[in-house]
Amino acid sequence: MKTDPILRAWFSLLVLSGASVAAAFIAGAGMGESVVGVLVLLFAWMKARVILARYLGLWQAPFWQSGFNWVLGLFCLLLLGLYLAPTVMV
Amino acid sequence: MSAPDADLQPGSLDELPGDLMMWVLIVSELLVFGAGLAAFLGVRIADPAGFAEARTHLHPAPAGINTIILITSGFLAAKALEFGASRRTTTIRWSLVAAMGLGGVFLVIKGYEFADMVGNGITTETHPLFTFYYLLTGFHAAHVLAGIGILALVAWKNTVRNLEVGTAFWHMVDLVWVLLFPVIYLLG
Repeated sequence: MKTDPILRAWFSLLVLSGASVAAAFIAGAGMGESVVGVLVLLFAWMKARVILARYLGLWQAPFWQSGFNWVLGLFCLLLLGLYLAPTVMV
Repeated sequence: MSAPDADLQPGSLDELPGDLMMWVLIVSELLVFGAGLAAFLGVRIADPAGFAEARTHLHPAPAGINTIILITSGFLAAKALEFGASRRTTTIRWSLVAAMGLGGVFLVIKGYEFADMVGNGITTETHPLFTFYYLLTGFHAAHVLAGIGILALVAWKNTVRNLEVGTAFWHMVDLVWVLLFPVIYLLG
């Protein structure tokens, strides 16, 4: 049976949101700040990709989908760099 | 025989689903909120310990619930657009009303968050984290309010074009939140 792509997107977003919160909670259990930063921002980027592709319909425009994915990915890397800067500078 | 008019040739911009101006708005909003988030983490570099302490006064649990509410609301808006293609007017309206209702719940929870923090004496002046918190999440909440109004208009005048534009605005609000929530509530 073929699953509804929008329903699948919604479910993916729920799972990714849960994973993001779980990663942040694990931080309290001693996981390194850098690992938490990478995981939380990776999940945020993946959620943004799902919304762009399925909710906003960019799956119909691969050129633009790829462009948005790259720019958002680079933006998340910028955020990661800023988040980890205090650790690196110590 | 004359060559076809260059203006009539499909270009990459024509591939974009929905209205081009809505995409211009989406990119503009992403730039504004993106700059805000980068500035937030940039200011944090000078005082990571202060930010970590201030973050303990935020409410990540209600904000996490709001994430589920908003992505579910986005799902309903996306379904409304899908129903729009088959002109199922009643289903379109109910989907949009449900999406708007969830948007309302989002605002109630956000209002509780703000009220509780203000009640505890936390204002924009208390710490830079709270300045960004009130500014970014407050500005986002204003977009949610505007989005509810837009969805109401689209539920009333539910042509396919209106549905595309209105639901795209709602998804933009959703998109901004999935970037805002982790940075402010989980990494701040």
